[in-house]
Amino acid sequence: MKRIYYSLLMCLLIVTPGMYDAKDGLRAQNHDENKIKLSGVLITDQRFLLKDKNDWAWNENRLTLKLDKKITATSKFYSEVWLRNIGLPNITTSSDLYNKGIVDPYSLEIRQAYVHLYGFITRNLDVTIGRQRIAWGTADKLNPTDNLNPYDIEDILDFGRHRGSDAINLNYYFNYNFSMQGVFIPFFQTANMPVGIFSNALNPGMELPPGMVLKEHSDTILMPRYSLGRSSVSALKFKGFTKGIDFSLSYVWGIDGLPFNIRNTFFPVDTIGGISINSQLSFIRAHIIGFDLATSLAGIGFWAEAAIFVPEKNIVMTTDLSALYPASPVPVTQDSLILDKTKPYLKFIAGGDYFFADGSYLNIQYMHGFIHERGNKNLNDYFFLRYEKKFFNEKLKVAPIGGGFIVADWNEIKDNYALVYMPEIAYKATDNAEIIISAGIFEGKGDNMFANLKDYNMFIFKFNYSF
Amino acid sequence: MKSKIQSAVFTALIFAGSILYANSQDANTILKNMDDVMYAPKDMTGKHTITLIDKNGKQEIRKANIKQKGTDKRIIRFTSPASQAGISVLSLPDDVMYLYLPAFGKERRISASVKNQNFAGTDFSYDDMESIPYSDKYTPKLIKSEGNVFVLELTPKGRSDYSRIIVNVNKTNYYPELMEYYDRGNKKIKVAEYTFKKSGNYWNAAEIEMTNLKKNHKTKMQMSDVKYDTGLTDDEFTVRKLKL
Repeated sequence: MKRIYYSLLMCLLIVTPGMYDAKDGLRAQNHDENKIKLSGVLITDQRFLLKDKNDWAWNENRLTLKLDKKITATSKFYSEVWLRNIGLPNITTSSDLYNKGIVDPYSLEIRQAYVHLYGFITRNLDVTIGRQRIAWGTADKLNPTDNLNPYDIEDILDFGRHRGSDAINLNYYFNYNFSMQGVFIPFFQTANMPVGIFSNALNPGMELPPGMVLKEHSDTILMPRYSLGRSSVSALKFKGFTKGIDFSLSYVWGIDGLPFNIRNTFFPVDTIGGISINSQLSFIRAHIIGFDLATSLAGIGFWAEAAIFVPEKNIVMTTDLSALYPASPVPVTQDSLILDKTKPYLKFIAGGDYFFADGSYLNIQYMHGFIHERGNKNLNDYFFLRYEKKFFNEKLKVAPIGGGFIVADWNEIKDNYALVYMPEIAYKATDNAEIIISAGIFEGKGDNMFANLKDYNMFIFKFNYSF
Repeated sequence: MKSKIQSAVFTALIFAGSILYANSQDANTILKNMDDVMYAPKDMTGKHTITLIDKNGKQEIRKANIKQKGTDKRIIRFTSPASQAGISVLSLPDDVMYLYLPAFGKERRISASVKNQNFAGTDFSYDDMESIPYSDKYTPKLIKSEGNVFVLELTPKGRSDYSRIIVNVNKTNYYPELMEYYDRGNKKIKVAEYTFKKSGNYWNAAEIEMTNLKKNHKTKMQMSDVKYDTGLTDDEFTVRKLKL
């Protein structure tokens, strides 16, 4: 399959420019537009904790390089590469000092690399092929319908970040207002999980029977079989504009990028209650039906977005205690239904924004179900608010109010809530250089992602330089 | 004595002629003529060089490509500085606007309230940048006729951040030479000076200098490589094209 996919990509790359030259003579007229455009951003993102000895919480230095080349008047190539250093060096032995990869770890990521063909075969069809970000949804950064690309949640404060997927993306435009999109992703890619201090933020606490102490934990991931039927993702989206409203209806035959724990096997490690657990994790296929809209009423921007997730099969978690009861004639197991395929769950978000005459901006969103939450009973409620104002011809941006309020259980709010406060000041020292100073203050109780961060209140410094 | 009478009669005739001329050119007609001059081309493409000048004279330059069809379809694509390159704004009829930010990889519908904001850090608001004919948005009143200009007072027909705009309209060619903007407290807040040049069959606002009196900040917007009536189709003004 992979070979077919890349062969197709190569054919398109070779054939298309010639085809357009011969057929339409549509070579780009403007010489400037045909040049390779190299641009980029240099970012440094430093965070340290507000308590104790102000340990570093985050260290990221990233060079984003973007290459843009208009091949013909109707085709272009685009790529985006990250060259970066993230995290802190983990030097433990003298031999590590001989390893540059440990002393000064840098990595290269191809975020996007695609060819876009405008008016391919027929003037109403656009084709994009290669690694690409296919961003769906009308809400601001948090999009329940954005399920094609794998989540990139290494930095969970960078809401909505996704990696690119190797995909074939077709857009057919019926007219100026209505279009149909078809996407095929041959190989499913998993999400990448939070790193550093955020690494446990998404992990629910594990409750053990009385008397048991967890000594070791290991896990095994069961990946979907790499076959057309098992590992591919397909999607369709109908998009329209009518009576001042942008809307879309979508369907994704996808695989959830975050794994489910389907089996916990307990083993005794000592005679005083110490145990080890081996977990089996698996990815599940789901049908996702999405809807979104955006409009502007009386100057206020409104958006809403919803996605219904229908698991293809029941997800059952088996707890296997057989090793703890060797004398038992039958396996000692307990099954819990995690997701019922007959009970789809709905995630949604609604919000609005307004620009005030004095240059300030207000953005409010309500969301039911965060990125990592699954199943009707596990969806929390999130209220996000941001107010910002620009000064000195937009050189200085101050956001004194920014953050959210999270409710995990309305019946016991006092013990199941979280507060996030993230004020921010951004200053554009020059047109291309921006300094951002921010803070992340977390407070809460109960088992929810932001409450899990309450020990990690931090100061954030970022510097961006575009070129 | 005779010569004094003659010159008085002559002056009176000129004055009367001026009033007659002004009356014959009522405010609505003058404004309509101004709209006809400003929005005569069927379509237009060009390049904007936008220079921001602060009170200390420090300059920052932004560049953008612009395409416009009629008075209600426009696409602006920034080409520099690097931090803004690729950002595009599509304006369509009925206050439908989209913003494309390359970093997000998708277009975003923007609320109509953005119209009262400054456009990309300039002294022009989104509202100022609109191409909707002034006669559609304002009720004109002829204040006076002096020198080579008619002075009109425009009061908004609907909701606006301005209580009025005073416009000096060139008597010969009907392009605006000067606009003074007053806020709702009737305080003069901005002044726009126009330099029009003939380009083919049309008068082109080759340079507009907008001064924000409150901030003591200026924006100079210069147009170059202007082409008119190249036959732009509605295809050019779609979300599909916004991302290209």
